[in-house]
Amino acid sequence: MIIKVKNLVKRYGDLVALDHLSLSVNEGEVFGLLGPNGSGKTTAINCILALLKYDKGEIEIFGQPMTPDAYDIKRNIGIVMQNVAVYNELTVYENIDYFCGLYVKDKKTRKKLVDEAIDFVGLGEFIKFYPKKLSGGLLRRLNIACGIAHKPKLIILDEPTVAVDPQSRNRILEGILELNRQGATVVYTSHYMEEVEQICSRIMILDRGKAIATGTKDELKAMIGIGEKITVETYSLSEEQLSRLRKLPNIVSAVYKNQTLEIKADKGLHNLETVLDFIKKEGIQFGKIYSEMPTLNDVFLEITGKDLRD
Amino acid sequence: MFTHIFINRLKCLLHDRETIFWTMIFPLILAVFFNMALSNVNSWEIFKAIDVAVVDDTNYRNNEYFKAALNEASKGADRLFNLTVTSKDKADQLLNENAIVGYIVVEEPIKLVVNKSGIDQSIIKSFIDSYMQTVSSINSILLENPAAQKELISSLADRQQYVKEVSGTNAEPNNVLLYFYTLIAMTCMFGCYFGMREVTDIQADISPVAARVNIAPVHKLKTFIYNTCASLLIHLFEIFVLLIFLRFVLNVDFGPKTGYVVLTSVLGSITGISFGAFISAIVKKSEGIKVAILIGVSMTGCFLAGMMYQNMKYIIAQNVPVLSYLNPVNLLTDAFYSLYCYDTFSRYALNMGCLCIFIVIFCLGTYLIIRRRKYASL
Repeated sequence: MIIKVKNLVKRYGDLVALDHLSLSVNEGEVFGLLGPNGSGKTTAINCILALLKYDKGEIEIFGQPMTPDAYDIKRNIGIVMQNVAVYNELTVYENIDYFCGLYVKDKKTRKKLVDEAIDFVGLGEFIKFYPKKLSGGLLRRLNIACGIAHKPKLIILDEPTVAVDPQSRNRILEGILELNRQGATVVYTSHYMEEVEQICSRIMILDRGKAIATGTKDELKAMIGIGEKITVETYSLSEEQLSRLRKLPNIVSAVYKNQTLEIKADKGLHNLETVLDFIKKEGIQFGKIYSEMPTLNDVFLEITGKDLRD
Repeated sequence: MFTHIFINRLKCLLHDRETIFWTMIFPLILAVFFNMALSNVNSWEIFKAIDVAVVDDTNYRNNEYFKAALNEASKGADRLFNLTVTSKDKADQLLNENAIVGYIVVEEPIKLVVNKSGIDQSIIKSFIDSYMQTVSSINSILLENPAAQKELISSLADRQQYVKEVSGTNAEPNNVLLYFYTLIAMTCMFGCYFGMREVTDIQADISPVAARVNIAPVHKLKTFIYNTCASLLIHLFEIFVLLIFLRFVLNVDFGPKTGYVVLTSVLGSITGISFGAFISAIVKKSEGIKVAILIGVSMTGCFLAGMMYQNMKYIIAQNVPVLSYLNPVNLLTDAFYSLYCYDTFSRYALNMGCLCIFIVIFCLGTYLIIRRRKYASL
C-alpha cells in the first residue's frame, strides 16, 4: 500500500474540513479524489504531505508515518499543486532543473531527467522562456514538469487542469496515464467528473470532508438504482401523459422541465424502445432524443441530493 | 545542495528587476540628486577676508602701532581683512554701496562705523577691542615700570601658545556628509525587501512555490539560510557599488577607517535583511501591506536620522534620546559619522552594539516563527 490514511480529522475553527477520512491508495493505481469545491480534497492532500496540521488521524506513506522530516519518503513523492508553483525569474529549463535538483544531486542524472521531463510535457521549444511569457496551458505543463522531473514513485496532482484549454487538458491527462504506465502511483484530485472517470482506476467521492463512496467507476455507478438516463426534447407534455409515462415498466422517474423530459430507468435492454413507443402512441412531438449511462454526477446526486457542479 | 540552491537563488534575485531598482539604482539616483542639491551647502563655512576701510587722516598716519597691526591683519593668504585706505567721504560711499562691511576712524577711542550688525562687523570690533586692550595694558605696565620696556617689546614679539589644537582624524566639519550617510543607511535598510522575499518564498502558507519547496526533501531552514546568503551577497554588492560611487565619483569622504566602513555596511545589510524577514514573518497580511510597513518604517527612520532635515537628528537626540538608539537608520548614520569624526571607537561601538541587538532580535523572532514545519492553514 502506498498511502494509508486513517480517521483523519481537520478542523478550521468550527468548520470540520475533514471528518474522519480514511483512504488507501494501492501501488500502481490512479486514485481519484472527486468532490465539489470546498469538499476537502486539497486539505486532504496537504495533510497527507505533512504541510498541514491535523487534529486527529494517522497517515502513512510507503508504510512509514509521514512527517515533515521524512525526507526518504519525500524523495519519492512528486507534487503538482493546484496553483502554479514556479519562479517567475527562472526560465522553463532553470525552473525544472532547480526543483529536480532538490531531489537529485548528481548533475548528469539531473540533466537527463530534466530533458526527459521537458520532452514529456512538450515544452522543448520554450526552455528559454520565462513563465510570464507562457500561456495558461503551457504554464500548467511547466508546473507538472517541475513536480515529476525526478521520476517519483508517487505523484499527487491537485486539480492540475484548472483553467486549461481542452488541447492542453487532453495532453495533461494522457501524460498522467503515461506516468502511471511507467510505474508511478497517481493520486488525482478534481471536481471535473469526466476527467476522473477518464483516467482513474479507483475513485473516492468526497463531500464536506467525508468520504461518501469509494470504488471503481462501475462499482460507484452500481451503487445507485439508475441503469439508464433517457432525455427527450419536447415542446409540450401534459401532466396526464407524464403520469402515464411513470407507470411504464422499468421507469424510475420522469421529470419535465424547461421543455426537456428526463427519464431515469432501471437497468434493462429495451428502455429506449419502450419510451419511443409511448411517445409515438401519445402523439408527442419531439426534437432530439438520446440515452446515456449514469455518470458520477448521478452517483453524487443520488447520495447527497445535490449536483457535483454546484 | 548549497551551491545548487545558492546559484539558482542568485539568478532569481538578479532577475527581480523591481527589487534591484529600489535597492541599487534608486540610491544611486538619490546620491546624484543629493550631490547636485548639497554641493554648495558647506561654502558658508569657508572664511572670507572682510572688506574694511580705514580713514586716511593725520591720526591714522601718526598711529604707527595701529597702522602696523592693521597691515599685519591684511596680508597673506589667511588675512583677516581686505583693507582699503581712503578718505572719510569715500569710505561712507563704499559703506553705502555695501562694498565694505565698515570703516575705522582712528581717534581716541578708535571708532568703527557700520550700517548694520553681523558676524563680520563683530570680528572688526573684536580686532579693535583687542588692539586697544593690548595698548592699554602696555601703557599701564610702562607707567609703573618704565624699565620693562625692552623686555615687554621682546615678549610681545614672541607670543607663546599654551594650548595646541590636535585633530585625531583630520576631518573637516561637513554638514553634507550626514545626508550621504543617511542615504547609505537607507540602502542598508532597503535590504528588507530581500528579507521579505526570503520569508515569502519559504513559508508554505504564503506562496505556492514555498509549499513546493517545503515538500522537497531539503530542510526548510537550510534552504532559507542558503537563499538568504544569496540575498546578502547581492545586497552587499549593491551597497559597495554605492560606497564606491560616493567615494570616487562624488568625492564623499568616509575618513581613513575604510575597514570599519565596510564592517558597518555588512552589519547594516544584515540589519536590513533580518528586519524585512522579521516583518514578513510576523505580519500575517498581504504582500502589499508588508511592503507598506517596510517602506513606512524605513523612511520614518531616515527622516528621524536627518535625511530630509539634518537638524532632526539633533532634535531627536536632545528631546527623545532613546529614539536615537531605537532607530537602526540613525545608528548606522551615526556609526559612519563617528568613524569620520572621532579618533576613538566608543561611540561607534555603542552604535554597532545596538545594531547587533536588533539583528539578534530580528533573527530570533524570524526563526521562532518560520521554524514550524506544519501549518494551521494554507
